[in-house]
Amino acid sequence: MTRLVLDPKLDLSKVAALNKSLLAAKGDDLEIDAGQVTLLGALGLQVLIASAKTWRDSGQTLTISPRSEFFDEALELFGVTVDDLQSTEAV
Amino acid sequence: MSDPMAEIRASFFVECEELLESLQDALAAMGDGEYDGETINVVFRAVHSIKGGAGAFGLDALVAFAHRYETVMDAVRSGQVELSPDAVKMFFNAADYLQDHVRAAQEGDAAPEGADECLQELEVFMGMPMGAEAEEEVSDFQPMGLMLDLDIGELDVGETVPAKETVFTVDFTPHSALFVSGNEPLHLLRAIRGLGALMDVSLDIDRIPDLDALTAEQSYLHWKIRLAGDLREEDIREAFDFIEDVCDLGINREAGEEAPLFSSAGPDTTGQNPSRPADTQPEDSSVAPLTDSANTAPPKVMSSPANKPSATSGGAAGGQKSGSEPSPTVRVDLDRIDRLVNLVGELVINQAMLSQSVTESGFPPNSAVMTGLEAFMMLTRDIQDSVMMIRAQPAKPLFQRMGRIVREASAAVGKEVRLKVEGETTEVDKTVIERLSDPLTHMIRNSVDHGLEMPEQRRAAGKPSEGVITLSAQHRSGRVVIEVEDDGAGINRPKVLQKAIDKGLIAPDAQLSDTEIDNLLFLPGFSTADQVSALSGRGVGMDVVRSAIQSLGGRITIQSEPGKGSIFSISLPLTLAVLDGMVVSVSGETLVVPLNAILETQTLTGADLRKLGPNTNVIHVRGEFVPLYDLGAELGYRGAMETYEGCIVLLTAQENGQRNALIVDQIIEQRQVVIKGLQQAYGHIPGVAAATILGDGQIALILDPADLVQNATGYTRSDFSLAG
Amino acid sequence: MSLKVLAVDDSRTIRDMLKLALLDAGMELHVAEDGVHGLEVLEGLEPDAIISDINMPRLDGFGFIEAVRRQEQHRATPILVLTTESAPELKARARAAGASGWIVKPFDPPKLVKALHMVAG
Repeated sequence: MTRLVLDPKLDLSKVAALNKSLLAAKGDDLEIDAGQVTLLGALGLQVLIASAKTWRDSGQTLTISPRSEFFDEALELFGVTVDDLQSTEAV
Repeated sequence: MSDPMAEIRASFFVECEELLESLQDALAAMGDGEYDGETINVVFRAVHSIKGGAGAFGLDALVAFAHRYETVMDAVRSGQVELSPDAVKMFFNAADYLQDHVRAAQEGDAAPEGADECLQELEVFMGMPMGAEAEEEVSDFQPMGLMLDLDIGELDVGETVPAKETVFTVDFTPHSALFVSGNEPLHLLRAIRGLGALMDVSLDIDRIPDLDALTAEQSYLHWKIRLAGDLREEDIREAFDFIEDVCDLGINREAGEEAPLFSSAGPDTTGQNPSRPADTQPEDSSVAPLTDSANTAPPKVMSSPANKPSATSGGAAGGQKSGSEPSPTVRVDLDRIDRLVNLVGELVINQAMLSQSVTESGFPPNSAVMTGLEAFMMLTRDIQDSVMMIRAQPAKPLFQRMGRIVREASAAVGKEVRLKVEGETTEVDKTVIERLSDPLTHMIRNSVDHGLEMPEQRRAAGKPSEGVITLSAQHRSGRVVIEVEDDGAGINRPKVLQKAIDKGLIAPDAQLSDTEIDNLLFLPGFSTADQVSALSGRGVGMDVVRSAIQSLGGRITIQSEPGKGSIFSISLPLTLAVLDGMVVSVSGETLVVPLNAILETQTLTGADLRKLGPNTNVIHVRGEFVPLYDLGAELGYRGAMETYEGCIVLLTAQENGQRNALIVDQIIEQRQVVIKGLQQAYGHIPGVAAATILGDGQIALILDPADLVQNATGYTRSDFSLAG
Repeated sequence: MSLKVLAVDDSRTIRDMLKLALLDAGMELHVAEDGVHGLEVLEGLEPDAIISDINMPRLDGFGFIEAVRRQEQHRATPILVLTTESAPELKARARAAGASGWIVKPFDPPKLVKALHMVAG
């Protein structure tokens, strides 16, 4: 189980680094800490959705916990649920 | 605290003054042939900033004028039109009108007359489109608060009426460029939610590849947003205002309305783009919504958006001439400074009183009290200087105003005149600057009108047809000297003399020196022009100029050379508040003579005295004869003395070099005194500049030696003994 | 959430007006007088949004925006351009430099605040 703590501000300037960290975490169950996130930008959201896909494909779990209020509000505004960003059921 | 907007408005007009000053500077540089980009930019920015601020206060006339000026200058800046000396002159004229416009806006007056004509002349001269078109632009620019570049104004009117429960479907596909521009869909969605309608957002998750195929900074996003509620399309569009060029946007109204409502909103408003593969979106598309033809763009166009901004870098930043570092400033109400000046004045008086009582208490010279007192005195003087420095301002704004006077005056009389300015950074007390404006204006007009010859006369005299007026300021031995010099014909002394005789101002047989003839110009009601011209026929003579200068504690003198020109010199005290003086007593009265007027003091012996006329005497000082004045008699304290043997004289000098000897009874001390004006109470008293309060609380008059001598009788005892 | 804003404008009047508008809206405002000064003030400041004039001495708005965008941590910082012109070329140039949006001077305070929220949350 790998753990990854997200940057508070996930905007254009941070997504490339996040992308890299996620690629590096591939192949293992992953728990993402979104407790300090104050801004989840659309590009950040995109990377997280892409990761969920990858993790699902490889049959490993990816969970996001804890999540900040800002994080949840962003998901709601973006019209997605947290399940879209997680891989909870190992295939 | 008062109304913040009123305060900002007041500070706007202060800023306008500064901007107008830099405008004048830059135009002057252009006048000298500097047509470089930064100089043009300074002009542009100054006008532009005035326009920007004026708009904030709804000063429409000023905005309109500044806009047209700026438009012409912008054409110059972009190289569409070229500058020439004539063009610069017209820009100068227009700048004068801009200043008038600012004044009018400040006072709430009507727009200045002739401003539009002047501007139109400039526009025509520069080959610009006519004013009407420009004005149209202004109205386009003005009323908008936030830019809504939406084209929706052309929609049918029914659309602007809020409709109940309208349902809109919005297709929103951000390009990668949207993120590069610092925009964020999250904030946008929040703003849309803020519109108050029911919102249902869904993201097309299937478009997003898995992690291996994903490029982090590329957008694969597509949203469908349904909005239901009491809202108008404009409200939605407004939310997308900033990003319409970096996204695909389709807004459709549901509920059986005829389908695409927004023919003007761009080629792709139907929301059909979801059919397009996500990765074919041209990443560097900075143009508005994609057309179908854009689909043929090669897939995987990956010009890194992050590099894009640098493509245009350098141009704007690199061309700038780096200006001088702005030094931090604080703006202070003048009343506060004046209060400080007054307090320091009181401090000086107080310190003098303290010194006196300490001295009288008989402390030894090196005692702690005495050395402490000395330090205190030095400190007081430093404080005084520093406070005076706050009030000091460069003469530049004053001189710039004179530039305008020259332009107007020369145009009025058909002379070619160039104003040369020297020493404009010389600092002068603010009050002095303000009160110099009128007299200086008159002197400049005078020089244009009377001093300089008409072009043909100048050519006939072998001079260039363009006359030069030089306005200069400098510090000279504790005073400020401001000179107006022209290279004209000089004072026509025979004519002046004749005129004075004709007017009965002097006796027909009077024998006057050149300087005395020149000084006739200062007699009330004197006018040298044969006909009263448009300029000087205003009932203001040089006599008014002189009394204005005198009321500032200053003096005015003339030097003139036939055929070469004239110099009018104004000499002013550096400050109106404090002066170094010599305290003397005459017939039991205590008087103060300004130290800078005194060359030396001397005790008379019979050998120094020479009789000149029946009632006048001179003294012989190092090979020169200097007229002798008996202060006690001149001021009416007593009659002339029996003998001057052993008397003390103060040798004084005037700006024009003339020396005089003043007889006093005793020299008391030399010290700084605070000037307390008398004129508000008594008007101008010949020979007296002001009064002061001495250390012992006694009031003493401060003399103006030059003025005193001018009005003196020169009466010194006729029958005293010349023996010795 | 109160926004932290950096405003760069060479006109004292405009700076005063921005101050009045933004402080009233509960925002935190830092000001600078031109592009160079703006970059200095930006150092050590993490604004939620930047407002910049275009015509300024030393370093104009385009140059300022480009310089800000070159800094990694400010690649996504929203930048609103304050301009008296509504010319499309000007907008295109500002966009090319990296501007997020435009506000036309004279600005209406509520609309400015709204625009800031639009780009900065």
